[in-house]
Amino acid sequence: MALTRPSQSSSIFKKRSSNALASAASYLSALSQADASARARNSSHSSPTSTPALSLSSSVTTSSSEDTVLHEDDYMNDPVLASNKDGLLLPPRPPTSEQVFTTVHTEFGHSAQEEYRTTSQHPAGKPLAIHVPQDPPYYILLSTYISYLILIVLGHVRDFVGKRLNPGSYKHLMPRDGYAPLNSDFDSFYTRRLKTRMDECFSQPVTGVAGRTILLLDRISPDYNHTYVFTGTRTRALNISSYNYLGFAQARGGCADAVEESIKRYGISTLGSRLEGGSSDLHAISESLVAKFVGMEDALISSMGFATNSTFIPALVSKGCLVISDEFNHASIRFGVRISGANVRMFKHNDMKNLESLLREVISQGQPKTHRPWKKILVIVEGLYSMEGTLVNLPALMDLKKKYKFYLFIDEAHSIGALGPHGRGVADYFGINPRSIDILMGTFTKSFGAAGGYIAGNKALIDRLRVYGHSGPYAEAMTPPVLTQVMASMASIMGLQQTMPTSSVSEPTLVRGSEYHHPGPSTRLIPPRMDQPPPALASGAEGRTRLRRLAFNSKYLHHGLRKLGFIIYGHPTSPIVPLLIFNPGKMNMFHRLMKERQTPIIVVVVAYPATPLVTSRVRFCVSAAHTKEDIGDVLDLKHGRGERWSIDEVIKRAVELGTSEEE
Amino acid sequence: MNTTSTTLAPLFSFLEYSLTTAQTTFDKLPGSAVVLRYVKSSHQNDPGRTLLELILFLFAIRTLLQSRTRADRNGKHFIQFSDKEIDELVDEWVPEPLELPLTQSEVSDLAAVPVITGPNGPKPKLAATGKTVTNLASLNFAGLAGNEHIKQRAVETLRKYGLGSCGPPGFYGTLDVHMDLEHDIADFLGTEAAILYSQGFSTISSVIPAFCKRGDIIVADRAVNFAIQKGIQISRSTVRWYNHNDLNSLEEVLNNIEKERKKRRGPLTRRFIITEGIFQKDGVMVDLPKLIELKYQFKYRLILDESYSFGVVGRTGRGLTELYNVPAAKVDMLLGSCAIGLGSCGGFCAGSQIVIDHQRINGPSFVFSASMPALLAVSASEGINILRNTPSIFETLQENVRAARAILDRIDSIIIPSHPASPVIHIYVRPLPSAGLLSASVSTSSYLSASVHHATFPSAKDAMKHAEYEAEERLLQEVVEDCLAQGVMLTRAKRLKGQELSEPRPSIRLALTSALTKKETEKAVGVLKSVLVKVLSRRR
Ligand SMILES: Cc1ncc(COP(=O)(O)O)c(C=O)c1O
Repeated sequence: MALTRPSQSSSIFKKRSSNALASAASYLSALSQADASARARNSSHSSPTSTPALSLSSSVTTSSSEDTVLHEDDYMNDPVLASNKDGLLLPPRPPTSEQVFTTVHTEFGHSAQEEYRTTSQHPAGKPLAIHVPQDPPYYILLSTYISYLILIVLGHVRDFVGKRLNPGSYKHLMPRDGYAPLNSDFDSFYTRRLKTRMDECFSQPVTGVAGRTILLLDRISPDYNHTYVFTGTRTRALNISSYNYLGFAQARGGCADAVEESIKRYGISTLGSRLEGGSSDLHAISESLVAKFVGMEDALISSMGFATNSTFIPALVSKGCLVISDEFNHASIRFGVRISGANVRMFKHNDMKNLESLLREVISQGQPKTHRPWKKILVIVEGLYSMEGTLVNLPALMDLKKKYKFYLFIDEAHSIGALGPHGRGVADYFGINPRSIDILMGTFTKSFGAAGGYIAGNKALIDRLRVYGHSGPYAEAMTPPVLTQVMASMASIMGLQQTMPTSSVSEPTLVRGSEYHHPGPSTRLIPPRMDQPPPALASGAEGRTRLRRLAFNSKYLHHGLRKLGFIIYGHPTSPIVPLLIFNPGKMNMFHRLMKERQTPIIVVVVAYPATPLVTSRVRFCVSAAHTKEDIGDVLDLKHGRGERWSIDEVIKRAVELGTSEEE
Repeated sequence: MNTTSTTLAPLFSFLEYSLTTAQTTFDKLPGSAVVLRYVKSSHQNDPGRTLLELILFLFAIRTLLQSRTRADRNGKHFIQFSDKEIDELVDEWVPEPLELPLTQSEVSDLAAVPVITGPNGPKPKLAATGKTVTNLASLNFAGLAGNEHIKQRAVETLRKYGLGSCGPPGFYGTLDVHMDLEHDIADFLGTEAAILYSQGFSTISSVIPAFCKRGDIIVADRAVNFAIQKGIQISRSTVRWYNHNDLNSLEEVLNNIEKERKKRRGPLTRRFIITEGIFQKDGVMVDLPKLIELKYQFKYRLILDESYSFGVVGRTGRGLTELYNVPAAKVDMLLGSCAIGLGSCGGFCAGSQIVIDHQRINGPSFVFSASMPALLAVSASEGINILRNTPSIFETLQENVRAARAILDRIDSIIIPSHPASPVIHIYVRPLPSAGLLSASVSTSSYLSASVHHATFPSAKDAMKHAEYEAEERLLQEVVEDCLAQGVMLTRAKRLKGQELSEPRPSIRLALTSALTKKETEKAVGVLKSVLVKVLSRRR
């Protein structure tokens, strides 16, 4: 557990304030203790070094069974990756003779125990508990502010001295022969003097599948994070950072087989925009599949999730309209709203009281100056917030919608696939008829392991967006391999009709307010190579398992961290679990200590400006690909005392935590 | 008196209580003693200062609290309503419908968009009829579509990386294949570095606001494509437009700005020239050497969108810089599309290391969007490899362009604004001599010379009455549909009506490809010619 690169780390510590050093040191000791205990626990297991990484049964995935040992060339040439020293290559227990796993353990973990599953569903009739962010002790806040203060003062001192002693390195920040600098020293201060210090946490290059594990391309910085050199080695790490909620990031399995077939049949690109000669029958098929999946009349697919917001929102609202936007909405939404020319107001994150008083104000006041009534009001929220892990308070929002007659746009980038008993997003989670929402938008980059996004609504609206959205005439259409991944992953959640009697697939949900049944399995929507799909895919059984594993893992991590005594934001069912760290100095520390454990774990740390200044955090993104043991590894952070649970207790009571209804 | 004191008593006791709790909590706060000492000593020295500081403090809190929702409750336009009045106003308010239905012609246009079944390429099969057609609509300039080697590499990549990257570049979304492609692009063009975006269209709308801020100056061509317009809009910089592809007009604008600046003695701001290599709207090509000269003379930075020229022109498809033999490093930000030029997906910006690194933190659609799927990056890298090693691709393409132009240039009833070497060819209807205002300025102009001032651009819509514009669109749509019936797939240039800065005239847009032989191209363009002559002769 000792830091393996002492020269680098000590140089970083020297620049830190003393209080940061103290807490960093305590972190160090806590984490190293945790690691020691983990090692002890692991060695008590019989380590099944002799079992192959895979026990692929050829009867299930006929197509990929011929090359059962995957990444053969990759792993076997590299002694480090071929060994199970990190505990990631092989499952802790060898599979029994009746257990059949069709996935590669490093991509999608093997887990057969039914008790490690639960359903993601809101208890009917109960209002959503208001999420109150837990406040840290004052001394944490104070030391955080002081850390920033010291960083800022030091930065300015360094700039002051640097400009005089080493003007060469400031050249690009200064006006030079008649050109203003691209970036002034003032504008870039934060980047140069604060972000650079923790650059090792960002933009880490990787290779391979972003599944349960990922391969890091090891790098070191010889010059305090200004440049990096690759050491040429790779490290396998547990990946609790990618938006791979349902674990569809896989190089093997039914979806990848379908994509391969599609590349062979359709090629790489459809050569153009949707309206100018780039439309393929695959687009039409997948759009109707998406519409069916999300429960809307029609849907439109775009080749980039960001662009789905930035190019279609301007076609929805214009001058004279008002957009009311949650203060934590994603950059793509802000981009689209700004381009649209509509007026914008923000409301406090997920605060329905604040939204209501804002609505009363804007409707009664009308447009600024003229007091003319607004043409339309569009409220834009996200289903699941990517930095907070909070769920939109949809039941309350729907009540407001009835009263105040605004249109509702929900960005389901993170919630589609990840929430709800059928994986159909927040509406499914709360049991609300999706058709009572005007526009549902989402991306395929997350749960579906693909790329791009969709926007769904009634047919007239979507047709209008086809013609008036910026993407239609100008942006490249989504490519066939991506379309196929979308179709295959979605269809495997829905199940395919031709192989299944209708009744047994997904029990229709009776929903509050109106009679809405989520559409059953997909019918004629057969992606290439899915004509004879593996039975587990066709029946939707595999998809259901993914949904249930994700729900369990999310709750387990959330409740587990809480019991250990950490400050956690968000909703327990959310696969995004932010752990608050506050102090900027601890972020590097946490990141590095996690990466250098015996089982390396990579984490995402986010700080200002992505979060408010003080509430720097680590963001875990749980996946269905993780096993219960993986989550246990992540949890193994600290020994608790008093009211806190110990890690051993948390792990022992995993089932209780992972299925708890507590909010 | 008595009564007031009794009513006030609980209030006082409450005040006292809250004061003491406030004091104890304050004392518990770490550092409170320091604050207290500071306030005391400053008060002793100068009581006025305490007041001033208190006011400042309150003011700071007020602004902090206000900035949240930008409420203009205190603004002079705010009207105070009672709750009941608000309820009534809420009840009365009727919003407009979220969407207007499409017009009849929009619906039929949408229905007429050809849908291809199976792979797209030079000879795709239509979903509607099952017929195979010759494709002059899809963007396949270098003929990379369907390349077996690329497909094979894509499958290999799929089996190693899966499909999606599941993360933005900053958070474990940077794959080695992305870095390889960035390196390949920079190496191919001869710049220091390059950065990859996951959609071609969104690239420039993101690059512009990464550099151009409020107060900066942008000088741009009036007919730049929609993505550039949006990038400029979101940057909030000061914009000056020059006439379409008229570098004299550009020089004039630059001179004027320089004069104004000298007069005002304002601070030095960033200044940019933004234009396209081959214009998306009409296939006109910019005179790059002259442009570079001007940029250096006036000390501007050049943002050049080569979406329709990278992978399209030049001996090996490097674009305008290769065609004009200008080092790409002289273009500060050179943008291209891997979707259009390399038959894959995504876009890039090439430039100096500083320019690229800046975007990695400041380019909105780079930072806030997932990186592109690995297999698409590898396909693009393979595409570059093929372009590099097969100059014959662009010889064939140019041969096809010459063949097509030889046929089209002889048709009297049309105008072609596009550059003779451009594989993107736009076709306008030549107005009848009897027609209104517009005809005079257009029909007589020699559209081939690069310095033609396109009077049609800035005010085409104004000049041409709405009906006339629509009629022209119908006419061209008829041509497109007749050609399709005869086995040639074309498209009208689709545009966002009413949203463009300046609406160009309706046109048919051809995209030639090296995947068709000269004979096939001639045959297809021949069909177009006969249909054009037939349909346009029916006008009166
Ligand atoms: C809420 C939201 N919308 C849109 C996007 C953009 O999606 P993509 O990464 O597919 O471009 C994201 C991605 O981070 C997001 O969180």
